[in-house]
Amino acid sequence: MHQLVPQKLVTVIASDVLEDRLIATVRNRGASGYTLVRARGAGSDGLQSGNLDADTNLMLKLILPPERVSGLLDDLEILNRKGYHLTVYVTDVLVMGHEKFERPMDI
Amino acid sequence: MSAFSNLLIPAVLFFALGFFARLIKSDLRFPPDLAKILSIYLLVSIGLHGGMELANANLGEALVAVIWALVLGLLLPVIGYALLIATRRVAPLDAAAIAAHYGSVSAGTFLTAIAFLGTQGVEYERYPLIMLAVMESPAIVVGLLLASWTRRRAVAGGSLRPADEGEPGNGGLGEILREAFTNGSVVLLVGSMLIGAIANPNALEALDPFTADIFMGMLCLFLLEMGLEAGRRFGDFRRVGLILGGFGVVMPLIGGVIGLLVGHFMLGFSVGGTTLVAVLGASASYIAVPPAMRLAIPEANPSLYLTLSLGVTFPFNVVFGIPIYHHLAVLLAGWT
Repeated sequence: MHQLVPQKLVTVIASDVLEDRLIATVRNRGASGYTLVRARGAGSDGLQSGNLDADTNLMLKLILPPERVSGLLDDLEILNRKGYHLTVYVTDVLVMGHEKFERPMDI
Repeated sequence: MSAFSNLLIPAVLFFALGFFARLIKSDLRFPPDLAKILSIYLLVSIGLHGGMELANANLGEALVAVIWALVLGLLLPVIGYALLIATRRVAPLDAAAIAAHYGSVSAGTFLTAIAFLGTQGVEYERYPLIMLAVMESPAIVVGLLLASWTRRRAVAGGSLRPADEGEPGNGGLGEILREAFTNGSVVLLVGSMLIGAIANPNALEALDPFTADIFMGMLCLFLLEMGLEAGRRFGDFRRVGLILGGFGVVMPLIGGVIGLLVGHFMLGFSVGGTTLVAVLGASASYIAVPPAMRLAIPEANPSLYLTLSLGVTFPFNVVFGIPIYHHLAVLLAGWT
């Protein structure tokens, strides 16, 4: 039987220009790592065609121990209040090799 | 020659093809990074070429051109902002973000103007190229100052709660200035100009197949892609409305006329050079300014400024604006 441990998966969809700021935030909030892909789509900010720097989105995914999620959400909420359009959702996941998610980022 | 002979330049026809392809809902698509690669190529080529020629330029004349470029970059956003506020249809922060686009410049429009002058056999001064590099950034700073002033007024008027976390720009004016002047396209254009100016001319000649021979073909591809992008944005025209759409045509005309006056009277340029300064005044940025505005004025709606700059002003300038500014420059030269 595999040992699977409950963790939280946080997904953030935001403008590509926020990359540096988002990564600094997740690092400060103790994420052990992240995965980022460029994305396109549409929403209340209009079309994000992904063809120009200004209309490319990013999708950032990270896995956090449940107790660290609330601090990260506080920071993301501040960004939302400043006017950035962030889509944020949190889901329950079961992860394999959970020790990996407790080590700090090595970059 | 007809005033609209501009329409028969291959680059402009490719722009129209891209636009048309979107209208008929063709599945024509460029790979996502191609537009970025093409604009890097165009900036490097034009920078190298301009640098080579500027190596022999008169420093005093170049300096005067730089000063006037700064004046245009600082003045045009303020005019744009005042016009937008006067329509009473635009939120002040949207107005600040849109205005910044109109003070900055579009290298794509500038290159189309060079192709136009080349087809007509019109000579032009090289100084507008330095002005192109200089004008990328100051308008960003003006846009941010306008936004910060708008926010302070809203707080004082009670319609906005003071943001306890500070302004979205986060780093104060120093950081904003650093971001505006280290923008990738500015670094690339100025860097290529420096390389063109100091490199061994014989060695640079070896680059000719890359920077000169294929240049117009690459410009065609770039404009094809921009046509697709403009066509995609043009569908959003409904969202911006008639008044704001009208601004996308009126503002380049105002900027173009101011550019004509500066080029002719202040800089003493020929018809070709004056046309290029008018194009600088008329064009709106769609590469450098939009990401800066997204970061620093998140309250503004990006679909407004992208649609205006890319879906309205860029096509207007490429198809109608350039021949109009050239025509006016000819009239101005004959008149005085």
